[in-house]
Amino acid sequence: MEERILEFIGDLRRAEMRISTSEALDALAAAAEIGLTDRDTFRTTLATTLVKEARDLETVDRLFNLYFLDLQALGEGVKKALGPEDPRVHEMLDRLVDEENLQLDELTELLMRGQGSEMEMAIRAGGQHAGLERLMYFLQVGYFSRRIADQFDWTAIEQDVERIMALLEARGLDPGQLARIRNYLELRLEAFRRMIRQHVERELERRAYRAGERLTREVLSEKPLFALTPDEVAQMRGVVARLARRIKDALALRQRQEQRGRLDTRRTIRRSLSYGGVPMEVFLRRRHRDKPKLVTICDVSDSVRNASRFMLQLVWSLQECFSRVRSYVFVSEIAEVTQAFRETQVERAIEWALKGAPVDYHCRSDFGYAFSRFAHTELESLDRKTTILVLGDARNNYNDPQAWALRLIRERVKGIIWLNPEGQWGWGIGDSVMPLYAPACDIVRECRTIGQLGEVVDNLVHRWWRRGH
Amino acid sequence: MFESVEEVQQRFRGAHYIASRRIATVVFLAARMGRPVLVEGPAGVGKTELAKTLSEVTARPLIRMQCYEGLDEGKALYEWKYAKQLLYTQLLRDRIGELIADAPSLPEAVSRIAGQDDAFFSYRFLSPRPLLQAIRSDDPVVLLVDEIDKAEPEFEAFLLEVLSDFQVSIPELGTVKARHVPLVVLTSNNARELSDGLKRRCLHLFIDFPAPGDELEIIRLKVPEIPERLARAVVAAVQKIRTLDLRKPPSVSESIDWARSLVILNAQALDPALMESTLTLLVKYEKDLERVKAGLDKILAEVPS
Ligand SMILES: Nc1ncnc2c1ncn2[C@@H]1O[C@H](COP(=O)(O)OP(=O)(O)O)[C@@H](O)[C@H]1O
Ligand SMILES: [Mg+2]
Repeated sequence: MEERILEFIGDLRRAEMRISTSEALDALAAAAEIGLTDRDTFRTTLATTLVKEARDLETVDRLFNLYFLDLQALGEGVKKALGPEDPRVHEMLDRLVDEENLQLDELTELLMRGQGSEMEMAIRAGGQHAGLERLMYFLQVGYFSRRIADQFDWTAIEQDVERIMALLEARGLDPGQLARIRNYLELRLEAFRRMIRQHVERELERRAYRAGERLTREVLSEKPLFALTPDEVAQMRGVVARLARRIKDALALRQRQEQRGRLDTRRTIRRSLSYGGVPMEVFLRRRHRDKPKLVTICDVSDSVRNASRFMLQLVWSLQECFSRVRSYVFVSEIAEVTQAFRETQVERAIEWALKGAPVDYHCRSDFGYAFSRFAHTELESLDRKTTILVLGDARNNYNDPQAWALRLIRERVKGIIWLNPEGQWGWGIGDSVMPLYAPACDIVRECRTIGQLGEVVDNLVHRWWRRGH
Repeated sequence: MFESVEEVQQRFRGAHYIASRRIATVVFLAARMGRPVLVEGPAGVGKTELAKTLSEVTARPLIRMQCYEGLDEGKALYEWKYAKQLLYTQLLRDRIGELIADAPSLPEAVSRIAGQDDAFFSYRFLSPRPLLQAIRSDDPVVLLVDEIDKAEPEFEAFLLEVLSDFQVSIPELGTVKARHVPLVVLTSNNARELSDGLKRRCLHLFIDFPAPGDELEIIRLKVPEIPERLARAVVAAVQKIRTLDLRKPPSVSESIDWARSLVILNAQALDPALMESTLTLLVKYEKDLERVKAGLDKILAEVPS
């Protein structure tokens, strides 16, 4: 069982769940605590030790079903194949084996008295010997089923059956009873063969699932954002959420190391004056790093919408890292969407910001107009603690770039960081005015894939705000 | 503490808590393995109550730490009673004077005073907060860290240290190690993501809205005077309302409240008028109310009569 659990953990990891060694050990320990039990309890035992995200539970259930057979259902299946239970046959066979002190082949024993689970174990062991890990295609199912079947000594079984039948006959059972017993054993034999095939089929399914998950993950992280299908976008949300958490964890740890309470002498003494110099109230100072203010300005026209989506998700998932986050979206008209993020869940807010009312999506991108409007209305609210994060491809449709507006904004703030979802080779070509905006920015980065986006934001949180402090 | 998962279920039920098989399994494992449980799920599904019930059935005192923004180590662990220390120094000024009267030099005087540190940095002057209480307790306790997602991430990192070895060091007094590892329950409403470290340390339990059968039992337990027919109707309606895409779907606490008021109103069955007039007990947002009202017929169609 342990091996099976470890294999299962391996697959959860390949499905992008981060499971630490200590959690793996916990799962083993918990399984030992809970003992042999029903399937649901076993599933809960693995889930509670290994899976710490509600959203991963579904994947776990799916994998669990592929891994740990529904033995009860299996038992039912076998039962159905065998027809109604026949305790008298059972008893008769048991007595015979005992009294005659019969030495039978292991598989014969199993067929006579085994439970579904024991049969399954035998098949699994057979699979290991038969090199089942090489199974890849549906066409190989028959081949591998035969190879597993070949692990068992069918001649010995047949001989055992004949031996048993002969002994029973010698004991004077009537032909009707004999036929019933033979029938029972044959049915079990057949059910066993069927179980072998099912085992191979399931293994194939599990492999396909595993390969699929990994492939999607790897490919998606490196796939240009604009090319993601709606399905892939949905899958990437989970990836971005994990990314956000990783960044946050690292940051929290660091903050904790940096700020421990110290006596704030000045405040303590000042207050003590009102108690005749006795410092009745003590003030502790937290070494507080001012958290940065962040303003995001996202182009949400079709070409870069996915990039904006993920950047917004990332930034809003990281909002505790900032003292304030404000977000604006534009195509040509620019609008603030901060409120939506405060009030609703990030994912819904993004859908709203991207599809909903705030700006007209049918016009053509006009960065110049958006920046000039922004400079016009928001300049007063900016200060030296604010960092501006622009996301856009700077494809201005030959409108006036109005780079002066961006420069004006830059004078007010701590810095401007521009993320461009288009490959660097395209900057400045055609209607791209990136080179005109770049001088006003402190950092300009290409950001075509989730991988790149993650890197940039991580860097931002950890380095950019520490500069000069 | 518990011999089996079934025993957990039975004893919780005895304390008026309906634990699903999943909940009972996790509680069983936590007790066996001495691991904290992190309970997540929407508000009102019985996360806090789970910890209280655990304390009740194990007859271990409950120590509760309610988290909030700005909660720090001092408030969670211990604080020196500075005022009391100062008061004592004032009162004992003469004795201190004597102590240093014949000191030949200032450094000597200082070190004599420092020699008396022990008297002032002792448990007498320490006020233990929940975490230290849980660790120092002579008897085993249940520690509830409620709504951990409201505290800041830095606090979480600190809590993790405590939960990892159940010992804390107080510089002036040395290390305090727990005599008994407490049963720890942490709850979160998912206001933000918790750190991986903390999650790794805990068993995880996600409590969702209960299955209809469990919810019916909860209602029967919490509102014993409710007619059976009405109880069934309440559960069916609530379960249906949860499937509407509401901003805040009604939780167990709301269905209990609703059932109670229906009993007070002496209702025997649900009808549209009754539902309309009591709906605000179930859903709180204006938009949600509209949506439920619009679907009232459909909801009632699913209700057994
Ligand atoms: N499984 C349950 N069995 C009994 N009562 C429950 C159950 N779940 C919820 N309740 C009741 O619902 C109310 C809300 O529970 P509470 O623990 O405060 O929710 P949470 O902490 O999850 O927000 C309490 O009155 C509790 O008694
Ligand atoms: Mg609560």
